[in-house]
Amino acid sequence: MPAFEKILLKNMDLPGYTGTLKQYEAAGGYMAIRAVLGKMSPADLTDIVKRSGLRGRGGAGFPTGVKWGFIPKDHPGPKYLCCNADESEPGTFKDRQLMERDPHQVIEGIILASYAIEAKKSYIYIRGEFFLGAEILNQALSDAYEAGYLGKNILGSGVALDVYVHRGAGAYICGEETALLESLEGKRGKPRTKPPFPAISGLYGKPTVINNVETLANIPHIVNRGPEWFMSIGSPPKSPGTRVFSLSGHVARPGNYEVPMGITMREMLQDYGGGMRDGKKLKAIIPGGASAAFLTEQHLDVRLDFEGIAEAGSMLGSGAITFMNEDTCMVWAAERLLEFFHHESCGKCTPCREGSMWLLQILHRMEAGQGKHEDLDLLLRLCGNIEGQTVCAFGDAEIAPIVSTIRHFRSEYVTHIEKGCCPFRDNLKRMDDVDVL
Amino acid sequence: MGLVKLTIDDREVEVEEGTLVIEAARELGVDIPHFCYHPKLGYDANCRMCHVEIEKVPKLQPSCAVSVTEGMVVHTDTERVNESHKSVLEFILANHPLDCPVCDQGGRCDLQDYSHRYTPTVSPFEDVKRVFDKEYFSPVIEKQMNRCVSCMRCVRYCDDVIDAKALAPTGRGSSTEIKHFGEHQLDCEFCGGCVQICPVGAFTNRVSMFDYRPWMLKRTDTTCGYCGDGCQLTFQTREQQSSANTIIEVQSFHGTGRNNGDLCARGYFGFGFPNHDARLTHPMIKKDGVHVEVTWEEAIEYASQRLLEIKVQYGSDAVAGLASARLTNEDLYVFQKFMRTTIGTNQIDSSIRYGHVNAAIAMKQVLGATRWTVSYEDIVQADTIVLLGTSLTDTNPIVGLKVKEAVKKHEAKLITIESIVPVIQTISNIATLATLHLQAKPRGYGAVVLGMIKSVIDSGLENVDVCNRYPEYIQSIKQAVTLLSFDEIEQASGVPADQIARAGKALAQAPQGIIILGQDVLRTAGGFNNTLNALDLLLITGKLDHERSGLAVLTEENNEQGALEMGVVPEYLPGPSGTMDDGVVDTISEKWGREPASGLGLRLPDMIAAARDGRVKAMYVVGENPLESLPSSCNVSDGLAKLDLLICQELFMTETAKLSDIVFPACSYAEKDGSFTNSEGIVQKVRRALDPVGDSHPDWEIFTQLSSFMGFPMDYESVKQIQDEINCFRPSVNEKVRVDRDVLDGFFKSATSGESIMQRYAVIEEIVDQSTPLTLVVGQSLFHSGRMSTFAKGLNAIQDKGELLMHPDDGSRYDVRDGSLVKIASEYGKAVVPVKFNERRPQGTVFFPEHFKRDIDAVLSMVTDPLTAVPYCRIEQVSITPVHSEA
Repeated sequence: MPAFEKILLKNMDLPGYTGTLKQYEAAGGYMAIRAVLGKMSPADLTDIVKRSGLRGRGGAGFPTGVKWGFIPKDHPGPKYLCCNADESEPGTFKDRQLMERDPHQVIEGIILASYAIEAKKSYIYIRGEFFLGAEILNQALSDAYEAGYLGKNILGSGVALDVYVHRGAGAYICGEETALLESLEGKRGKPRTKPPFPAISGLYGKPTVINNVETLANIPHIVNRGPEWFMSIGSPPKSPGTRVFSLSGHVARPGNYEVPMGITMREMLQDYGGGMRDGKKLKAIIPGGASAAFLTEQHLDVRLDFEGIAEAGSMLGSGAITFMNEDTCMVWAAERLLEFFHHESCGKCTPCREGSMWLLQILHRMEAGQGKHEDLDLLLRLCGNIEGQTVCAFGDAEIAPIVSTIRHFRSEYVTHIEKGCCPFRDNLKRMDDVDVL
Repeated sequence: MGLVKLTIDDREVEVEEGTLVIEAARELGVDIPHFCYHPKLGYDANCRMCHVEIEKVPKLQPSCAVSVTEGMVVHTDTERVNESHKSVLEFILANHPLDCPVCDQGGRCDLQDYSHRYTPTVSPFEDVKRVFDKEYFSPVIEKQMNRCVSCMRCVRYCDDVIDAKALAPTGRGSSTEIKHFGEHQLDCEFCGGCVQICPVGAFTNRVSMFDYRPWMLKRTDTTCGYCGDGCQLTFQTREQQSSANTIIEVQSFHGTGRNNGDLCARGYFGFGFPNHDARLTHPMIKKDGVHVEVTWEEAIEYASQRLLEIKVQYGSDAVAGLASARLTNEDLYVFQKFMRTTIGTNQIDSSIRYGHVNAAIAMKQVLGATRWTVSYEDIVQADTIVLLGTSLTDTNPIVGLKVKEAVKKHEAKLITIESIVPVIQTISNIATLATLHLQAKPRGYGAVVLGMIKSVIDSGLENVDVCNRYPEYIQSIKQAVTLLSFDEIEQASGVPADQIARAGKALAQAPQGIIILGQDVLRTAGGFNNTLNALDLLLITGKLDHERSGLAVLTEENNEQGALEMGVVPEYLPGPSGTMDDGVVDTISEKWGREPASGLGLRLPDMIAAARDGRVKAMYVVGENPLESLPSSCNVSDGLAKLDLLICQELFMTETAKLSDIVFPACSYAEKDGSFTNSEGIVQKVRRALDPVGDSHPDWEIFTQLSSFMGFPMDYESVKQIQDEINCFRPSVNEKVRVDRDVLDGFFKSATSGESIMQRYAVIEEIVDQSTPLTLVVGQSLFHSGRMSTFAKGLNAIQDKGELLMHPDDGSRYDVRDGSLVKIASEYGKAVVPVKFNERRPQGTVFFPEHFKRDIDAVLSMVTDPLTAVPYCRIEQVSITPVHSEA
């Protein structure tokens, strides 16, 4: 494991660090806003972030500074910044730690981003189940107000910002940025058709930027240490910086690990995750959350950055890596994931709504040994009819487990069909116990 | 807006910038299949059915959500596009129950049509279809969620257009189900919009459920006969086994009519009355106190003989005629001609006496025109709209939609002056959309208007041009308002002075402004003066003869404006000029070949009085029912009983018809041709959809026959002939009316004596006797129109009885429970009625629907307008005490 200085999780390693305002300040917190507010133009701040090469940590990996730059400069009305804290991707739990353990790092990022786009109001849309996180954030916000980091006149700079925490109501789709906006407006969480993009018509029809928690947490450090410093970390020029990866599944040491982007999957598994649990053999990897296509042990040498994973046929996504061992049934794994996607499909678009139900039923049959050879083609054809046919990326996400498991593990499907049962069924009970997925 | 040229399927088309691709394709006659798109609604792009290929765009695009760009090349019929369409259909059909044989939408279903077009004859789907629990939804709307394609058109229509927000999707994903709110049956506006806009059979009309297959029905486009909005609708009729055919359902198509395809409950579900069993089918003569069926020959002969006898013995003025403003223009025209020539009397009145005549006379005096000087389009585009005593959604729902569109789509400022609490319910409440809501007392509209005039003058906001043109008149107004105090205005109107001032300022500063004046003003004491004052308010704010500004008077019955223009009041002759001045009389005399009877002519309340004291010996009542329209405390029945001859021409055996000596069965508007003139003055066609029920005849035919028998033949053989004659007096059928500047100048220069203004500018303070602390308002329900609608089974399924609406806090104040019976008492009498709590009613007021007025008839009284003889009988002070049942 190469020597490496953590950025986002660094404070948490300090003895007794619980993320209070005092501790954050003592660790150098809230210095970035002092350097920026009233001293640097919003455009300059945006430029710094652009030059740092920071890309969104929510899943799509869009360059953050470029996104900010889309906000119309001379827009007369209000603009909004939304912090996407609706972390719901199965296997992902990094934002939760960032919010619960070092909330001010996120808040400082919010203040900077709001300044860059000249937003006077900002909303943290937090997953409904994160009640502890919401509580901690609310406390941190009220401390920040008291200390003058928020409010009508932040640190006497004349800059105003109010930040509100809004708890979601349990829908995965509200992590999709436009569904998040709908939900925030009090409507049913359903994605909007783009264009118009949120930067032009977002919350309440006003220019809006939606940034992920981890993305925002990076901003103060980029300001403090400069874009060149950030660009020197990880896998520049396209994937600079670190990522907080959430390791789960049959790995010896599951948990969040902040690493520079560009290390290999093998390093991740061996050096950080401690290898496979119980010495079992690795069979499959989901490298970027449930929406990412499965990889196999063939892919252990891919680089963990946006391009590396993409070249391997999957995506870095939210940074959730799930390892599955040799005892895991791939049909079952796909079925479990489809249960999730079927349950969470918002129902707006016909292909996703009806398709998820149909696909799930076929997978149910498959797993129960009732599948037919034609079902494999049908699965792939239906997936093809969903791909790219929906308003948001959910449709593409829900087919990823099916298409990739058939691609890499077709023989397992065939065995299910030919044997008339699941060859791994004796393992299933055990796997349900450890709750792999 | 500029034009954009693009290519669709190798054909060039030029459309306006901003046009959606799906609409541009429609221009070329290319129908891109779709479910969720509807031109009335903003796009949602959820069905993914309308995908097209756009060159240089890698992914297929929903054509409903993409605007055209210059040089765009679109393909709607490539293999890739067709595969996409097929795949969406395959997904939808996977869960669809395929119950077309028992689906009322079968035959006009988009899903069926597209399935046919793309012929997916087999489906690889062999798993379990999703099945929703069947639940009872409402008495008139049937919901079958298994057929739903989740396009959300119903929800979006209910939210965006109707603003009722009565529907919502519940559940998620493939379990998404459209529901209403609460553990009770649907309690919305029942506009039928969800049924009409549903592309499949998820929502169908329960009133005609399983009664038809769409292709069996004959379509007849006609104009609605309920309120004055003048909606175009299509009667769908079917031949029954019996001789008469039946109206099965109503539709209204997007892009047609003043209503643009939108309807209300009355229009959509109120079609049942023409085929009601209680229709009169044969002429009847009362013999020995009993109505006996006779032939038409006998009835006509008898009637003409009796009329002639009375005319000879007592003179023409011993006969009076009264007609309903629900008749067609042609019927009304022939009726007044019959009365003015054959009978030879100007003793003719119509149901516009109940209120509309107030507006007509006031507008005629001031503007020289009785038609609107604005149109629905002007309302939609207006920047400031004032609703004055309209109860808009209940009385004129489609004008309501225009106002909603103005507010929601064009950000118009809306000032509502209504006796209504702005609470949100699943029946839309226009006050909730208001920029400024003035919650006036039921008698307080006049005071609000005066307050607004005063505040405009006090803040020096009066229009300069107007002050220069009519300095003396404005001076008189200024003097008059100095005598008013805001204390008394607040007291009388119930509205705080600062709100009135804000409203006045908003209107004065608006570039354009329209006042929409409703029945709550016109049918309440002071209606005439209040209308004149509203015109003053428009004058002083510079809106009276300003472009796209002015007064829009709503009519409650479908053809009130027509009755006015046909001259079915003693004050006016047919035609737009209408008054009895010589020029008009000459024109008419020339055309008629005889001079129309002149003389002041008795107006309705005087007619009844004259019948009572024997001056009037015979009355010919056509479609009107004064016995129920006027409270029994003014003894209409005494008057009618004293008549030597009462002839009633009716659809049903009304209370008045029961008293009559002769009953003529008339055709309803569904059984005849003709025209109606709506509130705004647009003349629209009425077409025959049904054969006459029984042996009923169109009204005009009956008048024509009578006149022949009486020796003054009016030889009309067709409606067309009558229309040609009418058009001689009405040169511009649907031309937009402009204010007559000469009349305007004349009025404001002559009416400066100040005295009449002083009289008008008086705030009448209501003195509430503590023994009758509540103000009872009798008014219109959204679900009925007059009494005719109570014969429509669809509407009765929604509302079949009158309930006294009161605020729940008043309920506890008077110890009354929701749903219980109460005794309601005024100084005139008492009645027992059920109570329904409704937070929309302001405290201190209770409301009862006029369609069931007979239930509370005993408590009502009448006052007559001293100038226009309008009988006011809609407001009464009452007390309420609970009735404790014996159990």
